Amino acid sequence: MTERSEGHEGMSDVRPARPAPPRRPALWIVLGLLAAGAVRMGFVGARFAGSYPIATLTAVLLFALLAVPFWVFVSELDFLEREPMPLLVVAFAWGGLVATAASIPGSAALEDLIAKLGSPHLAADWGAALAAPTVEEIAKTLGIVAIVLIARDQVNSVLDGVVYGAMVGLGFQIVEDIVFALGAVALAGQGDHVQPVIATFLLRGFLSGVWSHTLFGAFAGAGVGYLLVRTDRPHRARAGMAVLGIGGAWASHVLWNSPLFDGLGNGGLALLLVLLIKGLPPLVGIVWLVRRAHDREAAYYVGHLARLNDPELITARELPVLASGSRRAAARWNAGARGYLTVRRLQRAQARLAVEMSRASCAVSDGSVGLRAQDVREQRTALAALGLREATAAPRSWRQTASTVATTVVAVAVLWVALASLGGA
Amino acid sequence: MSGVTRRQLTNLLGALAVAGVLAGLTFGLPAIDDALPAGRPVRADEPYPIGAGVTVEPPHGAVLDVTGTRPGNNQGSVLFRLGLVRYSIVVRPFDGTVAAAAIGLQQRITQTAGYQVTGAQLTITTHSGIAGLQGAYAAPGRGGRYAVFVSDGYLIEVTVSGADLDLGRTLPAIEASTRTLTAADPA
Repeated sequence: MTERSEGHEGMSDVRPARPAPPRRPALWIVLGLLAAGAVRMGFVGARFAGSYPIATLTAVLLFALLAVPFWVFVSELDFLEREPMPLLVVAFAWGGLVATAASIPGSAALEDLIAKLGSPHLAADWGAALAAPTVEEIAKTLGIVAIVLIARDQVNSVLDGVVYGAMVGLGFQIVEDIVFALGAVALAGQGDHVQPVIATFLLRGFLSGVWSHTLFGAFAGAGVGYLLVRTDRPHRARAGMAVLGIGGAWASHVLWNSPLFDGLGNGGLALLLVLLIKGLPPLVGIVWLVRRAHDREAAYYVGHLARLNDPELITARELPVLASGSRRAAARWNAGARGYLTVRRLQRAQARLAVEMSRASCAVSDGSVGLRAQDVREQRTALAALGLREATAAPRSWRQTASTVATTVVAVAVLWVALASLGGA
Repeated sequence: MSGVTRRQLTNLLGALAVAGVLAGLTFGLPAIDDALPAGRPVRADEPYPIGAGVTVEPPHGAVLDVTGTRPGNNQGSVLFRLGLVRYSIVVRPFDGTVAAAAIGLQQRITQTAGYQVTGAQLTITTHSGIAGLQGAYAAPGRGGRYAVFVSDGYLIEVTVSGADLDLGRTLPAIEASTRTLTAADPA
């Protein structure tokens, strides 16, 4: 019989991660859908690559580079209990191949239906705001459902739902941006030129990238995660939260695509205002949601480590550091260039130990708690060899504050230059 | 012997449901769209607003296709159908010359496999005085005409396509319609 303590599982946003083989019927069907999506999007890509090879290569390279920081950020959200790379790849590929392949004909058809059942004016003003979010958010949410069908046990916290949802959204965002960039090249009618690709990269990748599909997908993923994990809540509450998450993704997308506030003008300040008005509320919402989900997951795993009461494995001052993303990063920087990677390895080892302890608490561990503990001790020894006793963050210095302010000023300046280069200011 | 377990069956049904919803989005929505008529009657000889203040008088016998019609303040498009002939006008912001606009449109036409521009370009002027260039293109079994105008920072692109026989019959009315293009007074 499994032993499930209420304190760890019954009332938490987190359940122990249980390693399990993928469920076969769903795996094969999802792989088949990925193959079909790849063929369909391959035809789209081949058409562009045949006509505009340099622009296509530039678009793929630029947006692939853009994907890297997003990927790192999203996967780092779940530092304590990392998701398996193959599942993250499936989520990304679903967004980039399956959701896009379904959305291109689906959104166009729905927009036409709005024109037919309403009017061309309605379709012109609200078609993009209603058709694309409806079709695309459904297609992307199906990707999260597909992950659940393949590996239900891997989605064991609300944060896991956020991560998979964001990955599906990221895949969609990158491929959609490439298609838009090459569409701009075709529309320009100047042959194989890269200027439209650069303009699209600045507009869709740089200015709109933060509050785009990755963010929408995270909303939907949080809803699905809650539905799966909070088995202590009534069915109606869980379903309601799932609808709220997916509805939040849809509403954020509708707001972003809507013609609201377009009357503010085309100047740089007006563009900046519209970006903030439409993008900031969903961004603030998802930051709050992710922070809450992260803190709950961190409390769950760090709680297991706290009970060890063994400073060789984790010290009292390291516990709050491990529970916070910013403090984990600060502890690495605090260790200097030589200690950065060692501290990271120690934190990873502590996280793996916590995950294994959570599995052991409900009898699904593979019995490797001792090995994980040994790994932490080895990293502790490596840290001691550098003259460091523990991995903690120093109090924030005036230099760090000045660096943050300077970075913000540079980011705003770059944003302003980008807006101006697009014909704004 | 163990056959298919209840868990596997649920898993299979769930995956099939996902595939079903996807199929609905990919093929179902376009099928519903195709099943509904796109044509709307439109009055000839009455200026039709395309977008950005540009209007055109539709040719006699034309039907408005709402799937290709998107009016707007800063840009817009309209699609008329005369039987099997497509008559499309697109308006969008543009800061180049009419010659550059014509080259751009020619390039887009010839990007489609089998399409090529035929003959020389001729100048054209609408009744309201907007000057432009027009030309022709051809594909196996099909023909087409194009015209481009630049007025007050906006590009107006006209494309007409259809089977040669249909095109020959409807072209006079379409050319007459194209000459009714009017841009809003910038003042």
